[in-house]
Amino acid sequence: MNRVNMDMRKKILKENIIAWCFLLPFLFFFIGFLLYPIIKGVELSLFDAILGGKSEFIGPANYRDMFQDKAFWEALFNTLFFVVISTPAIVLIGFAFALVINSTLKGRTFIRTCFFSPYVLSMSVVTGLWIFIFQPYTGLITQLTMKLGVGEMYWLNTKWLVWIAILITTVWWTVGFNMILFLAGLQDIPDEIYEAAKIDGASSGQSLFKITIPMLKSTISLVILLQTIASFKLFGQTYLMAGGGPGTHTRTIVHYIYETGFTNRKMGYAATMSFAFFIVVFIITMLQNKLFADKDN
Amino acid sequence: MEKIKKMKPGRWIAYILAYAIALLWLFPVVWMIISSFKSYGTPVSILPELFKGEFTFDNYVTITEKAPVLRWIFNSFFVAMVVTVGTILITSLAAYAISKLRFLGKKYVFAIITAGMMVPMEAIIIPLYQNMAKLGLLNSYIGLMCPSLAAPIGVLIMKRFYDSIPQDLIEAGMLDGANDFQRWWKICVPISKSSMAAVGIFTFINSWNNFLWPFLSITSEKMMTLPVGIPQFQGANLSEFTLPMTISVVASVPAIIMFLIFQKHIIKGIAMSGIKG
Repeated sequence: MNRVNMDMRKKILKENIIAWCFLLPFLFFFIGFLLYPIIKGVELSLFDAILGGKSEFIGPANYRDMFQDKAFWEALFNTLFFVVISTPAIVLIGFAFALVINSTLKGRTFIRTCFFSPYVLSMSVVTGLWIFIFQPYTGLITQLTMKLGVGEMYWLNTKWLVWIAILITTVWWTVGFNMILFLAGLQDIPDEIYEAAKIDGASSGQSLFKITIPMLKSTISLVILLQTIASFKLFGQTYLMAGGGPGTHTRTIVHYIYETGFTNRKMGYAATMSFAFFIVVFIITMLQNKLFADKDN
Repeated sequence: MEKIKKMKPGRWIAYILAYAIALLWLFPVVWMIISSFKSYGTPVSILPELFKGEFTFDNYVTITEKAPVLRWIFNSFFVAMVVTVGTILITSLAAYAISKLRFLGKKYVFAIITAGMMVPMEAIIIPLYQNMAKLGLLNSYIGLMCPSLAAPIGVLIMKRFYDSIPQDLIEAGMLDGANDFQRWWKICVPISKSSMAAVGIFTFINSWNNFLWPFLSITSEKMMTLPVGIPQFQGANLSEFTLPMTISVVASVPAIIMFLIFQKHIIKGIAMSGIKG
């Protein structure tokens, strides 16, 4: 009895050791370059730390400063503004594109390739390309608006117009990803349901609202969730295309964190805002998860 | 009969609209590619100019003289390759443990890895930078690679696949006395090629295009990857279009080729990682 017990224990111990050996390489990077920085970031947020300089413990003072920092609230507002304009646009266009590709149109693969291909381009290539499209004097759209008699428009230097330019760029770049998610959801809906509805005399509009959209509920929630988070992280487009300008009109949270940490060298305060940013993204994820979980039940 | 006739114009409009939008979507990419073959200084925004005159490879030579573009290509490629191979290996090892082995704390390990997916890179750049600076890994290949190797999504994709392999299959394919490493390597790896490909393709394209971390951690021009080098190059050549377009094409070709070859894998991979998660 005792002997069997010992063997069992040995076996369990051995399996544990083997399992942890399998996990070790991944956990090394996961802990070292993901978990530890989070903890380190919280610690850093309690310090008045200068990049490449001294750091001094100041407790929660950075958090107090953050709540009183107008630039922080402005950046948060700018980011939320982009979330609010981009998420519906990208989700709706992605859905529409997916419907087109899921239809019986000929050449769907070609159309899918067109819609998706910008997604594999790098941020730098995309922004570089759209800078040339929106640029005054020599830009592509400027040539068009001049021909149309609208005249020259300073897309990237004009308040609000710059957001439209950034929205167009982002939609063009990322809508293909959402389209693919919708497409996968659409293809999971059995054809029989549509056929049955057709026999019952349902129009295509009725099928869309009574079958497709209800059956895609989980996909729709997933896409909205992923897109909200992606929009929240906006940095490259506004930074590279407009430098956060005109003024600070398109300076987003991530941009402000970058500027605080690397331009103004205030790493402690930047870490504070990073942590706040992390919490906000986390809460959005949780809220949306809960919202959609409640609806599903 | 009448109904069918009525449908036709609508169908035509749908076709024209779908193709028009698709071509419009592709247009900036086509414009970029054609512009790269026009001689220096061509006003490519005036579209008729695109088709006048000769096509030339000169820009592809000129960019290598103006900036260390060849070095940037090498850096991007080297980092992406190592990250891809590394990610495939370490995520599938970890996924095997979580899917097929019993160990203490498994539930928690899996929960933490899943939660790790929700951590935006943007939120940890500040402490990550401090850590890397302390380790002396700024401006280094290792510093570029390490953060990309912590990829929880890869573990989840591989685990989902391993979960679908019946234990019997693993036992049946192996002689007695085979250890877990052999089971993983000889049974699981060969049949999980498509999932590994999905993880690999995504990892490669993501690494190739990665902007934020290289942008922060690399200051030496020699160590830059293409996504960091391009904005700098474009900033220095804003009034002229063809050279920046050329370097953009160079940066895009590998990802576009991978996309065209592995289109099915990529689309399946997005669907897999997204929908059933």
